[in-house]
Amino acid sequence: MLVKLVTSRLRATRPRRLAWLALAASLGLLAGGCESFDSPQNTFSTSGDVAEDQRYLFFFVMWPALVVMVLVGAAMLYILFRFRRRSEQEPAPKQVHGNTKLELAWTIAPAFLLIAIAVPTLDGIIDLGRAPHDDALRVNVIGQQWLWSFEYPELVDASGQPLRIDGRPGETTELHIPIDREIGVTMESNDVIHSFWVPKLAGKEDVVPGHINEMWFNATEPGTFAGQCVEFCGLDHAIMTLRVVAETPEEFDAWVDEQLAAAAAEAPVTGTR
Amino acid sequence: MAGATLGRRPLTLMEALRQTRAEAATYRGIWSWVATVDHKRIGVMYGITAFIFFLAGGIEALVIRLQLATPNGAVVDPDQYNRIFTMHGTTMVFLVVMPLSAAFFNLLIPLMIGARDVAFPRLNAFSYWVFLAGGLFMNISFFTGGNIFQGELGAPDAGWFGYAPLTLNEFSPGNGINYWAFGLQILGVASMASGFNFIVTILNMRAPGMTLFRMPLFVWMTLVTSFLIVFAMPVIAIALFQLLFDRLFGGNFFNAEAGGTPLLWQHMFWLFGHPEVYILILPAMGIVSEVLPTFSRKPLFGYPFVVFSGVAIGFMSWGVWAHHMYTTGLGSVANAAFGVSTILIAVPTGVKIFNWLGTMWGGSIRLNTPMLFAVGFIAMFTIGGLTGVTHSAVPSDYQQQDTYYVVAHFHQVLVGGAIFGLFAGAYYWFPKFTGKLLKEGWGQLHFWLMFIGFNVTFQPMMILGLMGMPRRVSSYPDGYGFGLWNMMATVGAFMIAASILVFIYNVIVSLRSKEQAGADPWDGRTLEWSIPSPPPAYNFAEIPTVHALDDFWHQKYVEDAAERPVPVVAGGAHEAEAAEHEAGDHGSIHMPSPSYWPLIAALGFPLIAFGFIYDYALIAVGAAFLLVGLYGWALEPATE
Amino acid sequence: MEHAPAQAGHLETSTGLDNRKLLMWLFLASECLFFGSLIGAYLLYRGRNLSPPCPQDTVLNGVACPGVYDIPFTSISSFVLLMSSLTMVLALAAIQRNDQRGLRVWLLATALLGITFLAGQAFEFTEFHNEGLSISSSLFGTTFFVLTGFHGAHVSVGVLILLSLFVMAWRGRLNQEQSLNVELIGLYWHFVDVVWIVIFTLVYLLQPT
Repeated sequence: MLVKLVTSRLRATRPRRLAWLALAASLGLLAGGCESFDSPQNTFSTSGDVAEDQRYLFFFVMWPALVVMVLVGAAMLYILFRFRRRSEQEPAPKQVHGNTKLELAWTIAPAFLLIAIAVPTLDGIIDLGRAPHDDALRVNVIGQQWLWSFEYPELVDASGQPLRIDGRPGETTELHIPIDREIGVTMESNDVIHSFWVPKLAGKEDVVPGHINEMWFNATEPGTFAGQCVEFCGLDHAIMTLRVVAETPEEFDAWVDEQLAAAAAEAPVTGTR
Repeated sequence: MAGATLGRRPLTLMEALRQTRAEAATYRGIWSWVATVDHKRIGVMYGITAFIFFLAGGIEALVIRLQLATPNGAVVDPDQYNRIFTMHGTTMVFLVVMPLSAAFFNLLIPLMIGARDVAFPRLNAFSYWVFLAGGLFMNISFFTGGNIFQGELGAPDAGWFGYAPLTLNEFSPGNGINYWAFGLQILGVASMASGFNFIVTILNMRAPGMTLFRMPLFVWMTLVTSFLIVFAMPVIAIALFQLLFDRLFGGNFFNAEAGGTPLLWQHMFWLFGHPEVYILILPAMGIVSEVLPTFSRKPLFGYPFVVFSGVAIGFMSWGVWAHHMYTTGLGSVANAAFGVSTILIAVPTGVKIFNWLGTMWGGSIRLNTPMLFAVGFIAMFTIGGLTGVTHSAVPSDYQQQDTYYVVAHFHQVLVGGAIFGLFAGAYYWFPKFTGKLLKEGWGQLHFWLMFIGFNVTFQPMMILGLMGMPRRVSSYPDGYGFGLWNMMATVGAFMIAASILVFIYNVIVSLRSKEQAGADPWDGRTLEWSIPSPPPAYNFAEIPTVHALDDFWHQKYVEDAAERPVPVVAGGAHEAEAAEHEAGDHGSIHMPSPSYWPLIAALGFPLIAFGFIYDYALIAVGAAFLLVGLYGWALEPATE
Repeated sequence: MEHAPAQAGHLETSTGLDNRKLLMWLFLASECLFFGSLIGAYLLYRGRNLSPPCPQDTVLNGVACPGVYDIPFTSISSFVLLMSSLTMVLALAAIQRNDQRGLRVWLLATALLGITFLAGQAFEFTEFHNEGLSISSSLFGTTFFVLTGFHGAHVSVGVLILLSLFVMAWRGRLNQEQSLNVELIGLYWHFVDVVWIVIFTLVYLLQPT
C-alpha cells in the first residue's frame, strides 16, 4: 500500500517541479561550497600567479559551460512538458527525420565556441609551461615513498654543501620561499611517480623517475600553504604532505642563514644522499 | 536427474562420470546452458554475470565511501583501501560496463539486423566463458594475500590504471599485480573475440535490403565500438606483456635505471584507455538512440548525423590520449596539440545531444522507466561532457588532474551516462527476452532513487576536487573542509545501493507475474519487436526483407499527407514479399549445434596464468586445454 | 575454423566476403596494432643506455662495444621465410586446382621452411645469449627479445596450423571445397612474413648513425 502511495505520487508529480527543486538544491550546495574558501588546499583561494591564472581560465570555461548546461536542461524540461503525451488516443506526431541546415548549425556553432576556449588555453600552456627565468630561486624537489625533500642548489654553506631539508616519514616537510620572487622547481623521484602540488600557489607537475621535470611558480603574499603528493604512489600516498612557507625576503634570508648555520654545526654528518 | 541411482546403492565415481557425460551429451537442462551457442542465451549469461560483478564493485564502492565519510577514516587500513579501490575501478570498467554492453550486443544485434545468430556462434560462447574465467581469476586474488578473515587481502593495489614503476616488483612485491595483469589479458581475449564477431556479423549478416544506412543506430554504435575494441585491446595487451616481462623475467621496459621510461606505460595505457572510454559509452548512446524515438513516437532526428558523429568519435578517440598526461611533463607542444584535439572531440558529442533533443521535440512523449533513464542519461552526460571541456583547458587541468574533480567527471559520464543508458536498455528490452514487463511503479522508484542518489554522491565531488582533495587517498585530515561533502557523497552512495535493491526486487516480482508483454509492448520501430516475446530459438520464421530504416514501423504505419503515421490495413505490400521468400526457403531452419569446445578452450587461459604465477607445469596443462579445445572446435562435424 | 550452417553452396553475405575471410582480415588488422606497439617500443628505446653487447660494433665513450648482429646469417634466415611465402602461394594454387599431391608437397615445404626459420632464430638467440644479451641484461636485450620472441611465437603457431592442414591433406580430408582454409592460413602466413620484413629492416638493417 505504501509503495502504491509513494509511486502514485511520483507519477503525478511533474518532472519539471522536481527538477527545479534539484537545481535549487545544487545551487545551495555550490554556495555552501564557496563558504569553505579558507580551506588549506582550495584552488579558488589563490596566493600565487600561476594558480591565479589557472583559476581565471577555469572560470572562463566554467561559466559558458554552466550556461550551456542550464540551456540544455531548460530545453529538456520544456520539451518534456510541452510534448508530453496527453492521452493514448492522441494522434501520432509528424515523423520529422531531420533538418540538415539546423544540424549543420549545431555542429559548427559549438566548434566556434570551443575554439574560443582554445585561445587562452594555448596562451596558458605556453606561459605556464615555460622554463623558469634565469633569476629564479632554484629549488630541487625530491619525491620518494612517502616524503618530500627539498634542496636549494644555489644556497650553499661554508663547505659548499647546498641547503637541504630532508623529509621524515609521516611528517609534513616545509619548503620556505620568499614572496614576489619566481621559484624554479626541478623535480626528481627516487622511486615511483609522485606529483608535486601546492594548490593555492600552482597546479601540479609529476615527479617521474628517470625524468627531470621543471616548473615555475611564485607566492604573492606571505602565508603557509598546504600541499601533498597527488599521484598515487603506494601505501602511504595519502599522508605524503608538504607545506610551503612564503615569507618576506628578509625573513627568508634570516631563515636560510639559520639553516646553513645549523647544518655547518653538524658538518661531519652530511645526511644528503 | 534422470536415472539417479542404479537400484539403491550410490554410484561409483566411474559410473557417476559416465552418467554425467551421457547427460551432457543430451544438451538438456543446465547442459544446454553450458554448451549453448545461442546468442540470446549467451546474452543472458553475460548480463547476469556482469550484474553480479556490478554488485561486487558496488560493495567495494560502499566500503570506499564508508572509509571516506569522515576525516581520518578507520574502516579499513591504507593497504586494504588501496586494494579495494583498485578492484572497484577494474571491476566496474572491465567486468561490468563492457560485459553489460556485450550482453546487449548479443541479445539484440542478430534480431535488429534480421539474422538468426551471430557470424561465429561458438566464438561467441568462447567470449563469454573467457570473460567469466577472467573475472573469477581477477577476484580470486582477494584470497591470496594471507588470511582473508583477518583482513589480509591479496588483490592488486596499484589502481585500475596500474602506473609503472609502482607496479614493478621492487615496489609491488607479491602476486597482486600479476593477477591484475594476467586477468586483464584474459579479459582482453574475450573482448577481442567479441569485437571480431560483431563486426563480421554486422557487415555480413544483414537481412536482404538492409543497407548500412537502414541499420538501427544501436547496430551502428556496436559496429564502431567493436572496431575500437579490436584496435585498442592489442595496445594494452602489449603494455601488459611488457609489464609482465619486467615483473617475471627481469625486463627493463619501465626500469628507469636501465634507461626505460615509466611514461611508456602511460602512453600505451592511455592509447588504449581513451578509446576504451568510448567503448564504454557508445553502446549506451546507441541504446538511448533507440529508446528516445520509441517513447517520442518520432524517428531519431538526423540519423545520418548521429551515425557520422559516432564514427567521428571513434576516429577522434585515437588522437586525445595524452590529455590524461598533461602533468607528466610532455612539454608545451604536446600539451597544446592534445589540448586542441580534446577540445574538438566535444563537437561530435554535442551533435548527438542536440539530435536527441530534436528527436523529442514535437513528439508524443511517454515517460515510462526506459524513457526516464534515457532522459536522465542526456542530462547527466551533458554535465559530464561539460566537465570534460573544463579539463581540456589544459592549464586549468593542472589543478584538476588527479583530484576528485576528475572522479566526479568520469562517474558523471560512466554512471550518469553508461549505467543509466544500460538500465534504460534493461527496462526497454526486458519484455522482449522474458515475455514480461518490468513493473512501472518500482521502475520509477528505482530511477528517482538512483537519480537523486547519483547527484548527491557525485556533485559534491566536483567541489571536493576544486577544494584540493586528491584522488586515491585512503583518508584525509580534519580541517580541510572535505568532511561535509564526503559525508554527503556517502549518503548518496547508499541511496544508489538502495535503488539497486529496488531493481532486483522489480526483476524478481516481474518475472513471477503472469502478465504477458506480447511481441511489441512499446510500439517499437525496429525488427526485434516483430517477433514473439521471448523470441524462438531461430529468431525469425522467415528472414525479413527490409525496405527502409525503422522497417518494422513502416510495416505497421504509413505516413499520411501531413507526415503522420496511420496504421497499415492488414494485407499490405509486405505479404507478397513474404510469399516470395517462402518459396526460396529450405523448409526447415538449420541452427548451429551446441558445443562444449569453447568452454574447454576457455579454461586454458586461467590455467596458463596460474602456471606463470605459481608453477610452470600448469602452463602445460593450460596449453593442453587450449589446444584440445581449439582442435575439437575446428574439427567438430558441420552442423546439419 | 567455423562451420556455417551447411547448405548446398555458400551462405550469402551482405558484403560478398566469406565470414571467415573477413574475420582473418580483421584479425590481421588488429595484429598490426599488436606488432606496431612492440616495434614502437623498440624504436623508442633504440640507442638508449647502450652497454655491451650492442646491436652492432660501436664505440661507447671511447670503449669498443662488440655487436651481436650477424647480418648475413639473418639475411639468409629472412630469405628462407620469404621463400616459405612462395611455397604457401603454391599450396593454395594446388588445392584450388584440386592437385592433392601438390597441396601436400607445398604445405609441408612451407612448414619446413618455417621450422628452418625458427631454428635459425633459436641459433641466433643462443649466440646472443652466450655473448651476454638477455631479457634482463639491458634495454636492448629486453626490447629485442620480446619483439622477435613474439614474432617467433606467431611463426610457431603458423607452423602448427600448417602441419595440421598437412596431416588433414595426407588423410584425404582437405579437398577443393575447403580451399578457403588454406587461403586463410596463407593470409596469416604472409602477414607474419611481412612483419618479419619490417622487423628485419628496422631492427637489423637500419641503424641510427
